[in-house]
Amino acid sequence: MKIKIDHIAKIEGHAGFVADIVDGNVVKARLNLYEGARLLEGILQGRSHNEVSQITSRICGVCPVVHNLTSLKALEAALGIFPSEQTILLRRLMMMGQILNSHALHLFFFSLSDFFGIKNDLALIKKYPGRAADALVLRDFGNKTIEIIGGRSIHPLTPIVGGFTKAPDKEKLKEIEKASVKALASAVSLAKFFSSLKYPLFNRECDFVALSLPDEYAIYDGLVKRQKETEPVGEFMPQIQEFQVKENPAAKRSEFKGKPFMVGALARLNLNAKYLNPKAKSLFRETDLILPIGNPFYNILAQAIEMVDCVEETQLFLEKARDIDFESVQSHPFEPKAGKGFGAIEAPRGTLFYYYEVGEDGLIKNVNIITPTAQNLARLEEDMISYLPQLTNGGKALCKEECEDLIKMLIRAYDPCLTCATH
Amino acid sequence: MSNKKPSIAIVSLTCCEGCQVAILDLGERLLELTEKIKIGDFALIEDRAEPENYDVVFVEGTPITSQNVARVKDLRARTKLLVTIGACACLGGIAELKNYQNKEQRLRYVYKNFEGIANPDIRPVRYYVKVDLEIPGCPINKEEFLWAAKELIAGVIPKIPQRPVCYECQLKRNECLLQKGEPCLGPMILGGCGAPCPSSAYPCDGCRGPLKGAAINNFNNKLKEVYGFSQQEIDLIMQRFGMLDDMYPSPPVIPKNKIIKK
Repeated sequence: MKIKIDHIAKIEGHAGFVADIVDGNVVKARLNLYEGARLLEGILQGRSHNEVSQITSRICGVCPVVHNLTSLKALEAALGIFPSEQTILLRRLMMMGQILNSHALHLFFFSLSDFFGIKNDLALIKKYPGRAADALVLRDFGNKTIEIIGGRSIHPLTPIVGGFTKAPDKEKLKEIEKASVKALASAVSLAKFFSSLKYPLFNRECDFVALSLPDEYAIYDGLVKRQKETEPVGEFMPQIQEFQVKENPAAKRSEFKGKPFMVGALARLNLNAKYLNPKAKSLFRETDLILPIGNPFYNILAQAIEMVDCVEETQLFLEKARDIDFESVQSHPFEPKAGKGFGAIEAPRGTLFYYYEVGEDGLIKNVNIITPTAQNLARLEEDMISYLPQLTNGGKALCKEECEDLIKMLIRAYDPCLTCATH
Repeated sequence: MSNKKPSIAIVSLTCCEGCQVAILDLGERLLELTEKIKIGDFALIEDRAEPENYDVVFVEGTPITSQNVARVKDLRARTKLLVTIGACACLGGIAELKNYQNKEQRLRYVYKNFEGIANPDIRPVRYYVKVDLEIPGCPINKEEFLWAAKELIAGVIPKIPQRPVCYECQLKRNECLLQKGEPCLGPMILGGCGAPCPSSAYPCDGCRGPLKGAAINNFNNKLKEVYGFSQQEIDLIMQRFGMLDDMYPSPPVIPKNKIIKK
């Protein structure tokens, strides 16, 4: 039996899926990415440290902020520059906006329709106007947070090596503080709604990877935690083995010590749930889920809980950010020097890794970028190998369309970003 | 156009899809617009088969794979109007940087096994098919898109006013970055973006491409002579969104007596 889905809509980028099943065993399961290769790491060679973070934000229109900021972090590590506490605070605020706007898009517009067999979001909006409004409130809130600090929500402008070109308008920061009350209510209402949905059954063992800190739900900084082991970013990233598959060479896959692993909201929840803010934590406790959660479909619910956490976190950060002026976040002139640096941030879809080697002239010598989806692809394909038999011959076999819909649903649950994966 | 609801598509080739996201961020105004039209393909929000013909197709992204090229040619054959949106489709975008480099070396740098990975020179969509309107920007200005989309749906091809970025920048009363000595391309770049970059103290780097008939050589020389930038610095900026080749089919000739030695 062959399963072939030519086009999977409602994900970021273009992909299809193929699987071969022989005597009930899946011999092949592959997500085929149809993105062209833009050779991002290649085209950055020989370009200036002051522009590459603008170019890498163009890897992804859904998560440009995290590409921009992770690139800056790796450059700062290479150049030996330490941004101010206030700069980091504003960046962390931008990251909250990034996770909120991306999760809102994924939860409502990409994944929700799968629970009801609806193929068109306009119909979904008519069916659930209240939830649609919640999603739009959160998307808008995330966008505004980024825009006020970054100058623009898609491809932000103000973050530069060492700081910002401009400080956010204090009045506008107050506006987000006000808007956060409504955003929190929307996030809670969406999280309750996603808790009430029925998730497909599927359990598997899996290694989870996320940034981790001893006392907070790590997003902007941390050590890399894999199961119970932690390592600094600069030691973990070089151990990620990237490889290509012959039939779909442009999108790299990744393994760690010969095993696929999962990054993203579910990984973060599994590893760091005890550090969620109070509202998010109590909502999580109200679900009957027991850690670690093995079912990848719950990545959707994990994102919904994270949205609550992000709004709570935004409120805490905004309180501290009230007095930020340009002096405290401006970048000071520096002479470029040769160096190597790593950087990682938790992107909406999982840990994003950057590595730069900068030459004495300030131009980029070597680059590597490992995106969350490039890490998750191998894990997703392995999931399919164990999930498909459940659909095709476990008990009563599902009809073709039902089977295809569940495959698409699992793919979407990972929230893959194929333009990131290929880049 | 007939009384039937016009049918439109928003299609991505290879890119970051930020322009589609910008359209989605029109939020309720996008919903209002969709009452008046039939959306045939908007992969970010729906999953169903396409209609045979379109009234307007919006294309974002760069043709890189052979499927990208085939897709845009097929859409051209089935639509009345084809509109490109964003720097990738209109100029080549960041993917075009490799045109100015050794692209084979770049491919080998990224991939150990490069067999079967398309690596063409990057060209804007207009190189492959006839384009009725270009809405540039990285990303597009969603307000400008909404304005143009309404006109297009009514069957009119709008004209983007040939005004420089400085026009909108001055209306916003921003401090002039060029005068401060930053390499801002505002004077020679097509406005309509709302000048978000200079408003964020970030010099215009030309994502909307040059104004028609802009005196590019003069401006280039000014950046060198008055502001002291090197040609390499200027080239890096002008390459960023792929406009360097559009402006200079051959390298600019600078009269020798105008070069000031440092």
